[in-house]
Amino acid sequence: MDAWRSFKTGTWCDTIHVSDFIRLNYTPYEGDGSFLCSATQRTKDLLAQVQELFRQEQENGGVLDIDTDRVSSILSYAPGYIEKGKDIILGLQTEKPLVRAVNPFAGFRNAEQACTAYGYKISDKIREDFLYRTTHNTGVFRAYTQDMRKARHAGILTGLPDAYGRGRLIGDYRRLALYGMDFLLQQKAKDAEMIGQQDMCEENIRLLEDIAKQTEFMKQLITMAEQYGCDIRRPAENAYEAVQWLYFAYLGGQKEQNGAANSIGRITTFLDIYMERDFAEGTLTESQAQELMDDLVLKLRLIRHLRTPEYNDLFAGDPVWVTCSEGGMGLDGRTLVTKNCFRMLHTLYNLGPSAEPNITVLWSEKLPAAFKKYCARVSVDTDSIQYENDDRMRPEYGDDYAIACCVSAMKEGKQMQFFGARCNLPKVLLMALNGGKDEIHGTQIGPQGKVFPDNEKLNYEEVLESLKVYMAWMARLYVNTMNIIHYMHDKYAYERLIMGFHDTVVDRLMAFGVSGLSVLTDSLSAIKYANVTPVHGENGLITDFITEGDYPQYGNDDDRADEIAQWLTEFFYQELCKTPTYRGAKHTLSILTITSNVVYGKKTGTTPDGRKAGEPFAPGANPMHGRDKEGALASLNSVAKLDYACCQDGISNTFSITPDALGCDDDDRSEKLVAVLDGYFSQGAHHLNVNVLNREKLIAAMEDPTLYPNLTIRVSGYAVNFNKLTRDKQLEVIARTFHSKM
Amino acid sequence: MRIHSFESLAARDGDGLRYAVFLAGCPLRCVYCHNPDTWTHERAQEYTIEQIAKKILRCKPYMLAGHGGVTFSGGEPLFQADELYQLICLLKQEGIGSCIDTSGNVPLTQKVKDVLEASESVLLDLKFPTEEAYYQHTKGKLFLVTEMLSYLTQNNIPTRIRTVIVPQLNDSTEALLAYARVLMPFKDGISQWELLPFHTLGFEKYELLGIENPLLNTSALPDEKRLELQVFANSLLQK
Repeated sequence: MDAWRSFKTGTWCDTIHVSDFIRLNYTPYEGDGSFLCSATQRTKDLLAQVQELFRQEQENGGVLDIDTDRVSSILSYAPGYIEKGKDIILGLQTEKPLVRAVNPFAGFRNAEQACTAYGYKISDKIREDFLYRTTHNTGVFRAYTQDMRKARHAGILTGLPDAYGRGRLIGDYRRLALYGMDFLLQQKAKDAEMIGQQDMCEENIRLLEDIAKQTEFMKQLITMAEQYGCDIRRPAENAYEAVQWLYFAYLGGQKEQNGAANSIGRITTFLDIYMERDFAEGTLTESQAQELMDDLVLKLRLIRHLRTPEYNDLFAGDPVWVTCSEGGMGLDGRTLVTKNCFRMLHTLYNLGPSAEPNITVLWSEKLPAAFKKYCARVSVDTDSIQYENDDRMRPEYGDDYAIACCVSAMKEGKQMQFFGARCNLPKVLLMALNGGKDEIHGTQIGPQGKVFPDNEKLNYEEVLESLKVYMAWMARLYVNTMNIIHYMHDKYAYERLIMGFHDTVVDRLMAFGVSGLSVLTDSLSAIKYANVTPVHGENGLITDFITEGDYPQYGNDDDRADEIAQWLTEFFYQELCKTPTYRGAKHTLSILTITSNVVYGKKTGTTPDGRKAGEPFAPGANPMHGRDKEGALASLNSVAKLDYACCQDGISNTFSITPDALGCDDDDRSEKLVAVLDGYFSQGAHHLNVNVLNREKLIAAMEDPTLYPNLTIRVSGYAVNFNKLTRDKQLEVIARTFHSKM
Repeated sequence: MRIHSFESLAARDGDGLRYAVFLAGCPLRCVYCHNPDTWTHERAQEYTIEQIAKKILRCKPYMLAGHGGVTFSGGEPLFQADELYQLICLLKQEGIGSCIDTSGNVPLTQKVKDVLEASESVLLDLKFPTEEAYYQHTKGKLFLVTEMLSYLTQNNIPTRIRTVIVPQLNDSTEALLAYARVLMPFKDGISQWELLPFHTLGFEKYELLGIENPLLNTSALPDEKRLELQVFANSLLQK
């Protein structure tokens, strides 16, 4: 059968160009969700089995089982099923659902510790294999300088991907469905031929080796699919195959890599084209189309990686970030919303609320009104989705970008990211006040400077001058640390399959991050507008501050405080840009903490804003808990002032509101939420997580998890099952501002 | 102007998405008041009309998207009618409509009339249906409320009546009948009669302020009860 029958032809036919295919063939949908179908009996049966597995996994301490005999790769495992015969979309990471694979390529010790933590032992065979093998982690630590080790140890730089996969990549998995593997391999061969005609500089040699690695693993994927009875050498011929091929491509990447947040991309409108063609040919019903999406999502919810408990401390809830982006507008002015965008959202009803996949709605003022309202309703009902500003990102990334992880945009298949976790900004301020010493252990971390004297009111200008020196020092160290990490990751843990679904010559983004923006902003504002006096401890370092008088706080739409936050992000970004990056990557910056704001807070002494040592930071770009006193919109307005131009890896904001404060019934709440989103994004704001729930419900869930086993809430760029959070993090979430004015 | 607080997202005080400004100072002392901190000017902060307008206009994108506007509440907003009128006119020029949330317990001076006429809508409390009960539970005068209601309906200013329902005080159909008798003459000018449930969220404030809370032992009105009474109230006014 001709796989491309009845498709409108274009440049996509001769060269890889998925967005051209979409533009020529998709059907925009302006209607509402009334066409949607509920789950079939088959889906319900399979869902019940999966839910039982989730229950067992939780009961077993968070990990159901680990396969310690084999090293994870595309062909390590025989085919796995939830229930053979009932699965529609085939393929599991290992041979059984939720059994975790061991993947030591990024760090052997890390993999070993993860096994030990759950009572498993890595097999002797794997241990022996890796005795003679350099991992990414080994490579990084061979090159790390003393300064880097100290900054990492003190918790100024935390969560760096130096012991696990860097992740945050989005392969263009749609390519496999549209073209089939034979065509993709031919294209890679052509690329190699073209590069081979150039002079052999270091970059070209590396590219040639990259292509060879990619090709090897792309061929392995053919074999993996064959084991499931599918021939992916050819393009997908119908909607079922398109979903299946696409999923195989994603799954192969997850078998090979354990990076955090390798996301699935912008897939729903692409798949809609196949569904519409099948509808026209009379070979698919609406119920079957929904069933395909339900089954795909069930499989995505089973993706797991083996992590250490320390990792879960930072990124709670065992997240994978199978981020799925949809919506937005095309460059030609038509909406990219299709019926299949609704189907993806509808899985949250058919399969229940869930953290995965991390459904991300690309919001534009011009989105069809019915879609806007449907999304808002899904938020009100499930608290499972997030929103990002398409009108702000489209000019930077075009209309075929997707989100990786929480807020990281990139052009699908054309850009990749060097993930860089984040730097603890309030700690940099404390270093700047303590002459470069860590305020907790007293170790000299940065260049030696003046300790601001005991009992003497801080002078804003003086503090600012010192802070600038240390921020500049931090920025340079941060870039250089990242350069080492990604050099080694390319060398020892290169994402062979995932990069195969990218253009051979890709643009690279190096994504830096900051945490504690609101703490640092309020600290500076306190020093500027109130009286802040440091108090020295026994070791001659500042252990406390006396803050007298009121000062403007970030989160109240007050320019005096908000301008400090704006300046901080701009200054730090400019400083980062001064140090060149590995492979010529573009510097980007995010204001995102995920759930690490709790751990960062633990490792940070008392700050001048009144926050005591050990207390959590606010997440992402959020104002500090309880300090946004003029209500939800004033708080949103403060965050909206941060400039996306210098934070192109995203500005995360989490918005929690009680149902009563938002409207009188769910319909009213949905309408008001649409207005909040429109108003927020029209100011150029970047991201919003939305929770519509009562604090009382969270407290009840904390006390008795069985009351709400599927309670999902948005935290910082992703959703978690509330019951999977540690008590610490549950308490922090409960302490957050809930806009509740009635 | 003397302001108690700002609430940039007030979804339930008027139509659409609203920005609420709580003005300080109130002539009444309602037993069920949940904002006793707005009674006097002690905790108020002084703002110029321009400062307030600036804050409100920062939320214009939301109000436009949400077909809302600003709601002036309190305290009693009409206590500061002179400045409020100027503020409302200023906002009107910027395309933001105003709603007044009043107890109606102010004399109907020309300035008060100006404010009401410049407003898009009014939320008028009918707290109790007889002079005796009104005075007993609020220390105010019912006739001022009916005078204002009469003025509002004569001038076709969209008016929503609101009544707080307190358990054991007025949570019966008989009580509602008495309210309905007051409202009947103005029925055609009333867009809605909304019953609000008594809640205990303001109790902390009494403690903080050291004011005796007369309803300390009263519990919040259950939602089912409110719904049941609302249906009855609607039938009385055939709304």
